[in-house]
Formats: sequence, structure tokens, C-alpha cells
Amino acid sequence: MIAKRVRMSTSTRQEPRLLSSARFPVSKGLITIGAATVLLFVVCAVFAQSSVSPTALQGMLPIAAVLAVAGLGQMLVVQQGGIDLSVAGAMSLAVVTVTHLPDQNNGLLLPSVLLAVVFAVVAGLANGLLIGALGLNPIIATLGTNALLYGVNLGISGGRPTITTTALQNVMTDSVLGIPYSVFFAIAALVLVTVLVRRTVPGRRFEFIGANPRAARAVGLRTRLHQTSAYVWAQLLYCLAGVMIAGITAQPSAYSGDSFLLISVAVVVLGGTSLLGGRGFPLATVIAAVFLQQLVQFVLALGVSTAIQTVVQAAALAVGVSLYTVDWPGIWRRVTGRRRRVPTATPA
Amino acid sequence: MNEAVAEPKASTTSVAPTLEMRGITKTYAGVAALSDVSVEIRPGEVHAILGENGAGKSTLMNVATGGTQPDAGSILVAGSEVPPLTPRLAASLGIAIVHQHPAVLPDLTVMENLEVALPAAVLRGDGGRKAVAERLLERVGLEVDLQDRVEQLTVAQRHLLEIAKAFAVEPSLLILDEPTAPLGDAAVRRFFGLVREAVDRGVSVVYITHRMAEVRELADRVTVLRDGRTRGTAAVAEVSDDELLSLIVGRKLESTFPPKLSAIGEGHDLVLDGLSGPGFVDVSAKVPRGAIVGIAGVVGNGQTDLLRALAGLETFRGSIEVGGRSRSAKDLLHHAAYMPSDRHGEGLAMSLSVRENAAIAALRSFTTGPFVRRGREQDALRESLGSLSVKAPSMDAPVGALSGGNQQKVVIARALLSEPMLLIADEPTQGVDVGARADIYAILRDASSSGIPVVVASSDTKELEGLCDQVLVMSRGQVVATLTGDEITEERMVSAAVGSRTSALETPEALRSEHVTGFRRFIQGDYAPSALVTAVIVLLAVFISVQNGDFLSAFNLTTILTAATAIGFLALGQNIALLTGGIDLSVGPLAGFLVVVASFFVNDGASPGRVALGLLLMLAVALATGLINGALIRYARFTPIAATLALYIALGGLALLLRPQQGGYISQDFQGFVTLSFGPLPLFFIVLVVVAVLMELALRRTRWGWRLRATGSDEDAARTVGLNINRTVILGYAATGLFVFLAALMFMGQYGIGDPTQGAAFTLTSITAVVLGGTSLLGGRGTFIGPLLGALLLQQVLSATVFLGLGTVFQYYFQGALILVAAIVYTTGRIRRRRRAVPA
Repeated sequence: MIAKRVRMSTSTRQEPRLLSSARFPVSKGLITIGAATVLLFVVCAVFAQSSVSPTALQGMLPIAAVLAVAGLGQMLVVQQGGIDLSVAGAMSLAVVTVTHLPDQNNGLLLPSVLLAVVFAVVAGLANGLLIGALGLNPIIATLGTNALLYGVNLGISGGRPTITTTALQNVMTDSVLGIPYSVFFAIAALVLVTVLVRRTVPGRRFEFIGANPRAARAVGLRTRLHQTSAYVWAQLLYCLAGVMIAGITAQPSAYSGDSFLLISVAVVVLGGTSLLGGRGFPLATVIAAVFLQQLVQFVLALGVSTAIQTVVQAAALAVGVSLYTVDWPGIWRRVTGRRRRVPTATPA
Repeated sequence: MNEAVAEPKASTTSVAPTLEMRGITKTYAGVAALSDVSVEIRPGEVHAILGENGAGKSTLMNVATGGTQPDAGSILVAGSEVPPLTPRLAASLGIAIVHQHPAVLPDLTVMENLEVALPAAVLRGDGGRKAVAERLLERVGLEVDLQDRVEQLTVAQRHLLEIAKAFAVEPSLLILDEPTAPLGDAAVRRFFGLVREAVDRGVSVVYITHRMAEVRELADRVTVLRDGRTRGTAAVAEVSDDELLSLIVGRKLESTFPPKLSAIGEGHDLVLDGLSGPGFVDVSAKVPRGAIVGIAGVVGNGQTDLLRALAGLETFRGSIEVGGRSRSAKDLLHHAAYMPSDRHGEGLAMSLSVRENAAIAALRSFTTGPFVRRGREQDALRESLGSLSVKAPSMDAPVGALSGGNQQKVVIARALLSEPMLLIADEPTQGVDVGARADIYAILRDASSSGIPVVVASSDTKELEGLCDQVLVMSRGQVVATLTGDEITEERMVSAAVGSRTSALETPEALRSEHVTGFRRFIQGDYAPSALVTAVIVLLAVFISVQNGDFLSAFNLTTILTAATAIGFLALGQNIALLTGGIDLSVGPLAGFLVVVASFFVNDGASPGRVALGLLLMLAVALATGLINGALIRYARFTPIAATLALYIALGGLALLLRPQQGGYISQDFQGFVTLSFGPLPLFFIVLVVVAVLMELALRRTRWGWRLRATGSDEDAARTVGLNINRTVILGYAATGLFVFLAALMFMGQYGIGDPTQGAAFTLTSITAVVLGGTSLLGGRGTFIGPLLGALLLQQVLSATVFLGLGTVFQYYFQGALILVAAIVYTTGRIRRRRRAVPA
């Protein structure tokens, strides 16, 4: 101890500083996507007022809400270094379950929602066990379950759309202060995911396992159990997203989930969550969903081809990812010829 | 000692040294790994390089083989100065190296490993390539079949393979980096004989080792390095063991240590009895209460394995008693705190904050109900981090941004907060600055005084001397000395470790090789999935045609084969991406987009020039897409999924941009051409089969194929072998584009119109076909025949549901079940094999 004191007083700064911790940490992903979204709305307000009209927003927000919920589910899986291609099958199955089974009978809505939840848990366990316990590649396993989910789906629906129940339609499309209820569902999902991951013991362990499974194992955490749970939670969120579609759309298709498959991965990536696993950013993921949907509104309002929106989405994704992976300051220094600290230039 | 270095220069006037390194200096992040090192290797001598861990031996050899560029100094080969070395240039100058960790590719066969690593000329000789290769293996005593997959080889066998590669190029200078570490007695004898033969032929050998016995047996001269400096060079016959030892040890004491245990306390808190496990045997020790026990030895002699067993991360036999009670691996896993030497890989989650890392093992103690209380967590952490004087911008700072010393303190904070029953530290001060070292020593001492048994393994013997009350010296998995009190000196530890003549541990699991022959080799080989899929196709065909004879009608066969042709080309393309260890999500939309492009050019009445222009344009777009995918992955460091997803979305949009609605009929002539068939066999299905066979041959027999699989198998090893990874991957994705182009030609025939929404769905179909064909999504392993068969099976199943009157529901069930069953069968078999082959 004496030796330590001596060294401390001679070689290091005074007293060890007490470390602080922010209550609400702000991630790089949140700043990036948040700023981009604000900028987008400003541009919309200046160049295409109709895209920020109440009608336009009320059209955009429910879809964004669905995408946000699906994105949150995908995020949980991506956090564990996985990817979930069964989003499409899971959402479509939920849609079909809560529209075909009640067949416009409001009384049957609740049981059918419960059945959809059961499907979700079973599908989640299947994915989780195939990947966590048997060690299957996530792409293959979820591709397989996706096909099985569609099998069940077509068994119920025969591939035909049907008219949704009025009860569900009311729950999802009514609005308070001009904000559709579906938005509140998305916010509830966001809060749930955030609190579970950031404030509970299993959630904190979940995040640590995603960031470094080997270290988690060395600490003695049950990595496989948590990896499996990711797929179950994800399925529950896809189920919610499917139910939301079933309420928002008057006559939802039996393939409603397909268009959300890859875009759900895109919002996760745009939100700053790495496809290699690790920390997830729920709020940024939700904002990315709003961003991509508002982009659609903007392009619609400009009156150019709707195809542009897709190309812009792709560009947004590429730029978004490159902000995290490419050392832009380093490239800038190289381009401008300031070679001082470029590691490749000087073998240091 | 400088005279010793200067002395040979006078005598080299007659023959130029094989290799001379003058004044080599290399600095890593301000720390000198080598300072002004000069070594001269004469023709036909065995020159040993001796020194402790971290003395700079491996860095020096990396400089000699072009793996590392020195900051200063010059290199002369055969008397003339050479430009900065690259691995390729070094190889062409006749310098070969046997790496400490063999650079072999697990998914390739022994033969392919030789072929990919050796210049083509080496294998040309009497009796053909196989005969030459067999002679190469025989020379080093490696008894394996050329067709064995390297994955199935033991650690020792892989090492022999690495040695065989080095001898094969008939080098003028052979560098051996700890070559005997994993070898048993007989193999070492044989290997020494081989080295002597080489020397007789005039080859110079640099022999890096920790073992004085080997130096005595083999070397003519010896150079000792310490702290990155040359301590001296001498003829082995003229120097005594004690003299060498005094050169090796004697590092300056850099840190201050806390006082040792003054009086040995009553009782023992940690007792090991007859402990054996993977990598160590029969370790016994009784550690007095309050003592810190050190594990010394040359790196890789079982210390880490022993520590992992103590941490409950490895199974063990024998008993571990902590606090008077015997503990199981599970107890230890949950109640012992382990500080791994690999902080990045196993110690910390670098992307998470200091707070999250420090608190992870103690979260339960901060909860009220289901929630972690911020206040309690922060107070506990603030106190712990403060008492360890961790310097960080804040608790929210990513732990990866901290210095090595502060990172290690976060690991210690985590360990102490979990209130462990045992504290195990592997290399606790590696990469830690001097000031923080003293802190860490004091913390470890405090922990042991407070009653937690502390075990420290370190390659820095000086550190163990200063810190520990008891030291176990390990060599080849066994404890060769137990030192206490005044015996704990650097000299005693080093002489016990380097003087040991123990031979490699023959743990049965680690060293027994799997001898596979005939049928079993086939089952474990790449073609087993293809055979399986073929069998399923045949059985299914028989079953359906029994139910419904029309299934085998010419018309239906043509329909199935035509559809399978398009998917087949797509799958072959996808297969290339998967073989490199990536994936290409953009294949489907690219195919759709190419058809849209074609719908503007390849119409009825269009001039041949216009049609040709359209086809050229399609080809260009396909190749450009592949190049962009590859460039994003290799240069912009996108994950393959992110990169190809961006292209997926973009191509879908571009297709819509060009054709908002369906439109542009493909010319009838063209459609007729691509759907042409001979009887039930479509022309292009034959083309597909021929192409798949040619690709298969290319994959097995050409350098392109080996490179592709090597890259997917183990990128680092492939780079060490000298492959250009960036070029291989980027050209691989371009080739994927080329196959998508061929698939698009088929789709033009099938759909006959530019449809912007067509295509996207085929991405997943292509992946399914490849998976059914048995190509691994981990890369490095697969065939081109498999994906072709996979595509065929998929179309057959689609058709089957129609002919059996089962409806679309069963299409999906069949498809899902096929994928999952195939994946389970292929994956579980492979995991089992992997587990056996993992080095102990």
C-alpha cells in the first residue's frame, strides 16, 4: 500500500476523480439519424409542404409505427449477431390470424390475438432453439421457419385477403389529438424494449452477451439462453406489428409482411446497431423508421416517380452504414494532404 | 557483447552471409520492440535465437520474412542489400518460415493446402503432383492422406504440414519459430534429423526457441535477445548454460511491488490435487492462506489451460478445493472471477461503457424488484472505480477508449464487485503502463490479504518474483518446479522452464488423429449433400410418378428443368458469394433489373446491333453491381448483408424507375432461343450442367478455386500464405454478377416482359438452393454441383405439390422442412467434427 501511495503522488494526477454517468446517454446513431430526420422534415416543410400536412402525416405515421415495431424486434436479434428473415412470415401470419379467424366478428378478435401470440412464441422458440442450441446459421434457420409460417398462413387464409374486424380497425386508426393510436402502440413497444434491455438484469446481460459472447461466457453468463430469448421477444414484436397492420388496413393481404422484411434490417442498421452484434439503439431504430417513411412522403409530394424513394432509401442506408464503418476524417486528411497521423503512411 | 556481434564480420570476407540484418529498430505505439538489433546468419549454420517472452524474437523474424516493416535498419541477402521485404519478395529470395501458429486452411484438404501455398513449380516432378506431395509429407513423417481435410488433423499434424511446406520450397534460409512445441518425442527426433540434412545441403537455419536443451543439440551459434536488444552472439560450444542464462534474465525492475506475505498463515484456502485437463496433467499445490500463487513458464505450456480450468471454463479431473470445500466446474464458473489475458477477445465488451463492463457480474446486488437501481449501481461503481483509481472521461465512456492499464482495472473492478471466492489473473499487466502496474500489484495483494485466494499467471518472471509467495513453474503441461519464499527468483524460474526436458503432453483427445477411409471420408466430404439431394430427387420422382404418371411427361420435365435453369444460375452465383464467407442479397433484384434493361433493347424488330448493345449493357450492369458489392465489403468495411442489402433496395428502385409498370416485350426469337429444348431437355439446362461441372473443376483444380475457398475458410491464414484477399473477394462478387446475368437471360425467356417487381423473391430462393446443396454459410466449403441439385429439388417440390394435389400450403411446408432438415443434418455433423478438431 505504501508503494502505491508513493507512486500515486509522484507520477499521477492528484486525487482519483469520481466518475460521472449520464442519465440518458446519447448515441452516435441517435444523433446521426435524429439530425437527418429533423433535416428531412425541414426540407419537406420548405420544398413539399403537402408532405407535412396533417393528412400526409396521419397516413405516414401508422406505417412508420408498424415498421418501428418490426424494426425493434429485428434489432433484438441483430444485437445477438443474428438476423431474422422470418419477419415476413411472422407478420403475415399474425395478420391472417386476427383477420381470417374472427371473420369480421368482433367477439372473436381477442381469442384470435391470443392465438397469434401463441404462434409467435412457438416460432420464436423454434428459431431460438435451432440457432442457440443446435448452432444453425440464423439466415438458414429463419429462412426455414419463414416458409413454415407461410405454410400455416396459407392453411388458414388460402392466400386470400379478408376484411378486418371493426374493433381492431377502431383500436388502430382512432386518434387522440390527431395522433393515430397505432403510434402509441409503437411508443409502448419502444418503452418496453428500452426498459427491459437497459434497466433489468436479464436485459443488461443480454446486451453484454451481444457485445462479446466470449467475455460473457468467461463471466459465467448463460449465453445460449439469452440468444434464444432474442428470437422469442422478436417474434412477439412482429406479432404486434402484424396485428397493427391488420387494424390499419381495411383488407390486409396474406403477404403483408413481405415488404417489411429487408427494410426492418435497414432501420436497425440506420439506427446504428451493428450487424455484428452488440449494443442496440431502440430509439434510433424507431426514428429511422419514421425517417424512411417520411422520405416516401417527400418523394410522393414532389410528384416524381415513386421509384426514386426506393433509390433514396438505398442511398440513405449506404451513407448511414458508411458513417459507422468508414474512417471519413482519415480519408479527409489524406485527400487534403495532411498526412501527419495517417497510420498507413508512416509505419509507426 | 558488442564485440561478439562484430567479431564474425571480419571472417565473412570469403563467403557472404545468407542473411544479415543491421541495426533493425521497430517501435509499436512508442514502445520499442526491437532497438538496433543486428544478426548475421551464415551459410549452413543453425543459428538459435534465445530469449524470454516478449524479447523481440518473433518480431525480428517477421522483419526477416517481410511480415513487418522495420522503422530503421537494413537487410542484406547473400551480401547485397534488398529493398523493404514483402512476404512474396522474401519467398522469392529463398526465405521460408514455419510459423508458431500454422498458417493452414482448415476447410481445404492437405493436398490443396500444399497447392495453394506452394509455387506451382514445386509440385512438378517425377510421378506427378500427388507423388511429389506424398514425398513432401513422408519427408517430415506426416502420415495422413492427401485428401484428408486439414480440419481433421491434430495440432501436431498441422504443424508438420507447415514444416513440410517450408521444406518443400528448398529454401536457402529456413526460419523455425518454436517448431517443436506441440510435437511428441519421436516427431522431434525426426524433425531434428530433417534440419541436420538441410544444413548438410548448405541451408541456413534460424531456430527460435525457449529451450536450452534444443540449442545445445542443434545449434552452431546462438544470439540472445532481451528487451528488444541483442545481448550477444556466441558459438554454442564456447558458452556455458549459466552464461546463457545470465544473458536471458536480468531485466530491469520497473515497478514497485507491495510487500509479500510476512508470516505464512494457518491453513490453506486453495488446494489442487492431481488436477488434469486439456493441456495440463497432474497439477497439485497447497496455497497458504493469504498467499498469491504464481504460474510461471514459457507461454503456451499449459498455464492458460490450468487457469481456465480454475475458472470453471474447462472440464477437469482431480479436485479443486477453495475455502475447504471441493468445487465443481459449475461452482467455479459462477463464483470465481477470471481475468483473461486476451482483454479484447474475452475480457471486456469493448463497445460498451465502463459502467456496463464493471457492473455485469454484480447486477443482482443492485436490484429492487426486477429493476437495476441506477443510484445503487453508480454509488458502488464510483467507489470501486475510485478506489482502483481508474482514469476515464466518465462511466459512460466506451471501455475500448481507455488505456490498457485502465481497461485492466475495469476488469479487476468487475471481479472484485462480484465478491468472488477465487481470483484468477492471466497476464494481468500485459499491455499495461508502468504506473498502473504498481496499482494492479497492490490491488491483487489487497485482495489476497482480504481472504480471496489469488492465482496469477505471467510470462514476466520478474513480475512473479516481485509479487508471489509461491510459484509453480510449468513446462509442457506439467509442473516442473514449485518455488516458495527466497527460492522465488527469476533465475530459478527461467532455468526450470528452459532447462526442462519434458516432452509434449500426449493427451489422447488432442493427439490422436482420425483415420478416415472410403465411405466415411465420403460422408464427411463435400459431395455427401449432393448425393443426399440426388437420392431425395430420385425417390420423390418415383413416389410422385406412382401417384400421377403425368409427372414424368416430357412437357412437365421441360417445365421443371426450365424453371430450375434460371434458379440454378442464380444459385451458382450465390454460391460464390457464400464460398468467400459472404452473402449476396442483391442477386434477385439484380436479375429483375437486368430483365427490365433488356426489355428496352431485346424487342421484336430490334436490329441485331441493338440487341447486342442491350446484352452488353446487361453484362456491364451485372459486373458493376458485383464490383460495388465487393468494394463496399472490402474497402468500406460493410458487412456483406449491409452492402448487398443496399444494392438490393437500390436495384429494386431503379427497376421501378425505368419501368413503372410492366412493359417492353422481349423478342419472340430470343425467347424461343433461350427456351429451346431437345426432347424434354432444355438447351440451357444442358448449358447449366456443363457450366456447373466446369465451375466445380475450377473450384477443385485451379488456383482461383483454392483462393476462393481459402479466403472463406480462414482469412488470416490465407493472407499469411500470401493470397490477395481483397482481389479474391471483389472478383468473387463480380463472378456472382456474371451468373446473375445468365439467370436474367433465362428469366427473359420465361416472363417475356420487363416487370419491375419480378426478381426480389429469387434472392431467398437462391440461398435456399445453395443451402440444400450443402455449401456452408460460414464460407470455405461447398460445391457447385450441390446448388444445381438444390435448385432442381426446389422446382421438383413445387411441381410435386401440384401433381399430388396438395396445394400451395404444402409447397411452403415442404420448402421449410427441407431447409431445416438439410441445415440440421449438415450443421450438426459439422459441429461435431469441429469440436474434435479444436486444439486442446
